[in-house]
Amino acid sequence: MSKRTNVMTGLLIVALLLGLSMQTASADEALDKSLEALNTYEWGQDRALLSALDAAVVASHDDAATQKALSAKLTAVLTSSAPQAAKDYACRQLSLIAAADSVPAIATLLGDEKLSHMARYALERISAPEAIAAIRGALPNVKGPLKVGVINSLGVRRDAESTAALVALLGDSDKGIASAAAAALGKIGSADAAKAIGAFQAKAPKELKLAAADAYLACAEQLLADGKKTDALLIYRSLIKSDQPKHVRLAATRGMLAATSKK
Amino acid sequence: MKRKSTGSTRREFLGTAAAAVAAPYIVNSTALGLEDRPAASERIVMAGIGMGGRGRGDLGGFLGFKEIQVVAVCDVKTDTREGAKKQVDGRYGNEDCAEYVDFREVIDRDDIDTILCGTPDHWHALVSVMAMKKGKDVFCEKPLSLTIVEGRAMVDAAQRYGRVFSCGSQRVLGDYGKTARKVQAGELGQIHRCYATPGGPPRHCNLPGEPMDENIDWDLWLGPAPWAPYNAFRCGRSYGLGGKGFRTWYDYSGGMMTDWGGHKFGGVMFAMGLDETGPTEIVPPDGKDVKYLTYKFECGVELLVGGGGPKYEAAEGNVPGLTWEPPTKLLDRGYKGPANNLPGDFLHCVKTREKPFRDVTYAHRVATVCHLGNIAYELQRPLRWDPVAEEFPGDDEANRMTWRPMRGPWRL
Repeated sequence: MSKRTNVMTGLLIVALLLGLSMQTASADEALDKSLEALNTYEWGQDRALLSALDAAVVASHDDAATQKALSAKLTAVLTSSAPQAAKDYACRQLSLIAAADSVPAIATLLGDEKLSHMARYALERISAPEAIAAIRGALPNVKGPLKVGVINSLGVRRDAESTAALVALLGDSDKGIASAAAAALGKIGSADAAKAIGAFQAKAPKELKLAAADAYLACAEQLLADGKKTDALLIYRSLIKSDQPKHVRLAATRGMLAATSKK
Repeated sequence: MKRKSTGSTRREFLGTAAAAVAAPYIVNSTALGLEDRPAASERIVMAGIGMGGRGRGDLGGFLGFKEIQVVAVCDVKTDTREGAKKQVDGRYGNEDCAEYVDFREVIDRDDIDTILCGTPDHWHALVSVMAMKKGKDVFCEKPLSLTIVEGRAMVDAAQRYGRVFSCGSQRVLGDYGKTARKVQAGELGQIHRCYATPGGPPRHCNLPGEPMDENIDWDLWLGPAPWAPYNAFRCGRSYGLGGKGFRTWYDYSGGMMTDWGGHKFGGVMFAMGLDETGPTEIVPPDGKDVKYLTYKFECGVELLVGGGGPKYEAAEGNVPGLTWEPPTKLLDRGYKGPANNLPGDFLHCVKTREKPFRDVTYAHRVATVCHLGNIAYELQRPLRWDPVAEEFPGDDEANRMTWRPMRGPWRL
């Protein structure tokens, strides 16, 4: 390779590096502008203001350090006086990339009437155990529809550690809460959950009978999936003999047939 | 309770039929099964939930069947609801059709056998699952679901309770059926590549709030979706991705990808016998080597989102890894019953307890392909998918997109 070629190659590399560096600077600048816009973002504003943030979240795949830095910037919005639309946006993005270190900031919103759902939107999707622990921890502190939402999230995540708290809620005077607790226990589907639902469905008030039966059926399916065929069969037998509506008894019969044919 | 008229319950129908024996002169001949209609006690009692554009279209289809008795309609929009009631009452020549704002009151009625669900997409799973848990059979408009997990919950509920569930695309047999039969018979050779172009994904909605329209129960319209201020274009019926209807928006729909995907992917998956599985790889276009969103199936078949379609390309010579064979056993599968159409197929299966042509499992597999495409578009990278476990192996970020936490009190 001649000296001239070497010089040309060197110049080309420098130009490429400069180009890359300018591109990165420009991307960083765009991201900063997006973050600034997010702090005052309202519904009705141009969504393109946030597009650099959208792109950064997508591009952060498999890059824990970048995700951590981005998550920190997004959680800062949650604890600021930013508008509801901005916090809504931040929760959506956090639901995709956040890890355990974002959980405390998100969890502060679980008791917020306007943002509790978006907090769950993020926390329910974060696989780190801290996230479900935060939802579990909020259970005694929220009321009414917010409590129902929290219970539903515990059910979706099949949080066995919530079993005792959920069993206690089966007797709640708010039928929405009792029904949600039964459904969550059904999804958890452990032997303890089955025992509690079994007792509950035998004495459940009329308006909760179907919810209890459905939870019991869900429990049986989970037990069967976990290889606990005998426990599942006990549930099906008890529902077949119950005074539940025909379609529930039919479901129990179907379940029993499926269970008995399963090796 | 916002029920506006009591309508007729099944017990009342039965009561009417019994009373007719004793007092024939005061009973409408239709209720006796004259005018070539089955007696009231023999009819399938239906209620319509979500009576906007497609819901009303489906309602009209069902009203043409003599064995159907529509007793209630439900919609959160007053004018839509009233229009549907007028349609039903006009068909029967009375004013008996009950109106509801809240669908839970409809599915609580013991006299109703079947639910027609024509709501926007974000309600399909909830209405259907809750109805099946009450023992109803369901005819649901496509697209089946808003997320993959929702679709699986619908399959589970249908299987748990042994319900008949049909999620229609009239085009699978109607428009694409002839070619599908050729594919299934092997007349087109060993297919290795299919093409179908459903349309684009939804967008995130940034519409501003507007003064509330008294015509709508906004909280109930939003349902499980994140709270957002009212805007007529959030909940509008305008078709397409133009920003004036719910189908444009991520929180309420999978966009044209899921809407037309129900037809086009549904057509391909039926033709190819891929209706009980899913792809193992999804590769989005990259502007360089990959021109089209591409789904790769274990049998070596590729489904490309491009070229209009459904179209099928036969392999020339030996294609490595291609094990696909024409699914000849599907040649016998079609609509059941004499009507030879989607609603007729559903009604026949309600009576016989057979599986309808477009049953919930097939609909779920088709909807899943649509959702996988939307996720790949959003993440802008190739994805691996396990169609048995229904998860992205080792990909936590993608797995987070298989469901969306619901606003309380809603749950599946």
